[in-house]
Amino acid sequence: MSELFPRKQIIGFVFSLVLTAAALAVYFLKLSFAQGMVVLVVTAFVQALLQLVVFMHAGESEDKWVIYGKVFFMIAMALITVFGTLLIFLWDM
Amino acid sequence: MEFFERFAIPNPSLAIYASMVAIGLTVVAIIAGLTYFKKWGYLWREWLTTVDHKRIGIMYLLSALIMLFRGGVDAIMLRAQLAVPDNKLLDPQHYNEVFSTHGVIMVMFMAMPFIFAFMNYVVPLQIGARDVAFPRLNALSFWLFFFGAMLFNISFVIGGSPDAGWTSYFPLAGNDFSQHVGTNYYMIAIQISGIGSLMTGINMITTIMKMRAPGMTLMKMPMFTWSVLVTNLIIVTVFPVITVALAMGTMDRLFGTHFFATTNGGMDMLWANLFWVWGHPEVYILILPAFGIYSEIISTFAGRNLYGYKSMVASMVIISALSCMVWAHHFFTMGQGAVANSFFSITTMMIAVPTGVKIFNWLFTLWKGKIRFTVPMLYSLGFIPLFVIGGMTGVMLAMSAADYQYHNTMFLVAHFHNTIIPGVVFAMLAGLTYYWPKMFGFMLNERIGKWSFWTLTIGFCLAFFPMYITGLDGQARRMYTYSEATGYGPLNMVSFVGAGVMAISFALIVYNVYYSVRYSPRNIGADPWDARSLEWATHTPVPEYNFAVEPQVASSEGFWDAKKKGHALFPGKVEKIHMPNNSGVPFIMGAIFFVLGFSLVFSLWIPAILSLIGILACMALRSFEQDHGRYISVKEIEETETKLRGAK
Amino acid sequence: MKVDHSLPLEYGTKQNGLNIFGFWVFLAAEIMLFATLFTSYFTLEHRTGSGPSGTEIFEIAPVIIETLLLLTSSFTIGLGVHAMRLGRKKAMMTFFVITLLLGLGFLGFEIDEFITYIHDGATLQTSAFTAMLMTTLGTHGLHVTFGLFWGTAILLQVKKRGLTPETANKSFIFSLYWHFLDVVWIFIFSFIYLKGMM
Ligand code: HEM
Ligand SMILES: [Cu+2]
Repeated sequence: MSELFPRKQIIGFVFSLVLTAAALAVYFLKLSFAQGMVVLVVTAFVQALLQLVVFMHAGESEDKWVIYGKVFFMIAMALITVFGTLLIFLWDM
Repeated sequence: MEFFERFAIPNPSLAIYASMVAIGLTVVAIIAGLTYFKKWGYLWREWLTTVDHKRIGIMYLLSALIMLFRGGVDAIMLRAQLAVPDNKLLDPQHYNEVFSTHGVIMVMFMAMPFIFAFMNYVVPLQIGARDVAFPRLNALSFWLFFFGAMLFNISFVIGGSPDAGWTSYFPLAGNDFSQHVGTNYYMIAIQISGIGSLMTGINMITTIMKMRAPGMTLMKMPMFTWSVLVTNLIIVTVFPVITVALAMGTMDRLFGTHFFATTNGGMDMLWANLFWVWGHPEVYILILPAFGIYSEIISTFAGRNLYGYKSMVASMVIISALSCMVWAHHFFTMGQGAVANSFFSITTMMIAVPTGVKIFNWLFTLWKGKIRFTVPMLYSLGFIPLFVIGGMTGVMLAMSAADYQYHNTMFLVAHFHNTIIPGVVFAMLAGLTYYWPKMFGFMLNERIGKWSFWTLTIGFCLAFFPMYITGLDGQARRMYTYSEATGYGPLNMVSFVGAGVMAISFALIVYNVYYSVRYSPRNIGADPWDARSLEWATHTPVPEYNFAVEPQVASSEGFWDAKKKGHALFPGKVEKIHMPNNSGVPFIMGAIFFVLGFSLVFSLWIPAILSLIGILACMALRSFEQDHGRYISVKEIEETETKLRGAK
Repeated sequence: MKVDHSLPLEYGTKQNGLNIFGFWVFLAAEIMLFATLFTSYFTLEHRTGSGPSGTEIFEIAPVIIETLLLLTSSFTIGLGVHAMRLGRKKAMMTFFVITLLLGLGFLGFEIDEFITYIHDGATLQTSAFTAMLMTTLGTHGLHVTFGLFWGTAILLQVKKRGLTPETANKSFIFSLYWHFLDVVWIFIFSFIYLKGMM
């Protein structure tokens, strides 16, 4: 039975629960907007990375670097789209 | 009766009725012809169900040429209307419809499939692969494109054409100002073919990353393959953006949401923003494969390897990232502040740098080369100076403060035609002439080809250079007429003449095809141009399995090495080859998408839901089906090979 | 079909490797799809017209439950893939069934949430903000719905055909899809709900 529950995944799961709880602190502890955003950005991206590496096995195949490269390129483009738009519409209009 | 009223044309004219009759007659003629010559089975077995990348490439090519014709007719109408002041040839509504469909068709349904035609046909050959990674998905991509294009094209006989420009800015494109279904067609037809493009992107990236011949490392890929890889990287990045934008636009028009409305918190500028997040990279999706084709042609006909291979690759990769950071230069005048405008101004100007690097590399490739002035080479040589002009005017537009003057004038129109025609269209025609012998087994006539090159170039200069001047004088784009007093008349007349000369050039190309089908010699061998990369190392016509033995390369010019340096290109033995089976599902799915799109355009919910179920059923079918393809035996391969070798 | 036994079953054939690679490219495209939704959401977030704002309609309890359901399902499908690699068909199927049930539970809560919104007068037509909220959540929800059908189809195939290179490949790809939806949810959870309630 225990071979069905590998340590790595269990630790990953616990860690992701902890991150969720940390994010919830933003709500329950009534942090200020700036503090809250810092917490959210950190927890969300760490959580995403966790899923990517632990659960999605992104690093296991021969194409490891192509896959990481592709995903990080896309994340960069996504951030550029989000922040570019925010710059245009919210911060400089 | 009431039900059918919605399909009527809101703004009819004699020309539209005439085209209805013409379309009707053509359809009848095609059906009758197929039946008479008993070609239905052939059509279904060999083309509609094919998953062969070469045939799919040829179907893309044919569609692109047909769309070039449709877009071209639109263009002539536009120029004719503007040829003299206060002209009454087209009324404002028709003028709007014509420039809108002209733009969409040329970008989405002419340039894109033209590029996909070469990607499909050439890339697997160039990397020594048997097919693309997902042949069936490839067929689906094609049929989605095809039915999307058909859906868009029927708009002008059923329900009315879109009339809000190829950019379809809101609130003009919203229900309040575009009341008939034209803009629905825009939203949905582009959506359908866009999904196809996205799938092509996934397919091509996988093919190029995972299926290259042994020895072909990334830095030993031919330049066209590199350009296709980078292009598809951009496709995969930005097509999801237009998917979302179009979905939101569709919801605004069909479901009464207020994304881009001017009430209830809606923001019309958000559409412009999302459109250009896709739209600017889109123009690089068009130009990068063109750069790839020029690179192949220039090095072949200069008889030299490409100068600065690494910097070519680097500049394309930089362009791919930068092209996603410049979009706001299309709306400098929209009201954002100086910080945002300066940022986008600078990134835009930065793109000119890698582009310049490429121009110099081509020049250095030509330097001291033994240049052969064939038709493809003429297009490539014409491209360099003309494109530089287009790029320089681009940098003028990139200065945000100055753009307040240029924006939405004929100057802008001149800029982008100056990049797209010598950049993309010349490349497509060059590629057409260059790859024609590989595709069809005979060459296009060189003499007629040179005539079409020169008429096209002269026609282009006559048609578009005057617009720089009228634009600076203040002639606005998308205005259906102007008064005598503005003084724009004579230069617009010149443009009209230029457009006519370009039309002659395209007629010459059609004539050239006809002439060459009849008179060109057929025993041209596999390598009529004395070329350098792998696609020329297999037979003409290309057997369905492409290469009997997997090629092995040691540089980006494997075939040249084999010809000149005794490199052993095919060291292996013939083994049985695995091939995918044909399938009718992609075609059927495409057709259902057409029905879905049509139903959505007219808000016919029941057929829409039924076709949605049909699409899901096709996907389920695909999931449960067990199709492991088939093998071509060694004996069969050897027979084909002997036959093809004899045919040389 | 050549099967390479030095690799996990789902990578075993050449086509399998292509499928997994291609799916990663697809997921990259999905990143942009959701990024566009987020872009639009952030732009329209405060453009509520005459409708309610986020703070007025968001509730923390269902959101926490939804998050836990989806996180757990992401964990169980990971265990499913692990079991698959051990060749334990039964265990693998059990984990996949649990995953789909958790997904179903998530969907139930989400539908309930939508019903509440509509009750509160926040419909698709109310304002740019409500429309954008529902479109973003809805796109994720539709992905989950599609995943439920897809996962069921794969389970049926595993049941009938056993763990072959083909079914293993499909199951693995499905697991990638499912994890990805979880990641998207984390961002919705953080930057739509928590940010909105802050
Ligand atoms: C050096 C490179 C380039 C620069 C700096 C540049 C810059 C610009 C700028 C600033 C605009 C917007 C002007 C305005 O709306 O006022 C523009 C429009 C445009 N450009 Fe370029 N461009 C470049 C290359 C290209 C290329 C290679 C293509 C196509 C293959 C292209 C196609 C277009 C199109 C289609 C539009 C206008 C679309 C519309 O508004 O309908 N450009 N360009
Ligand atoms: Cu641009």
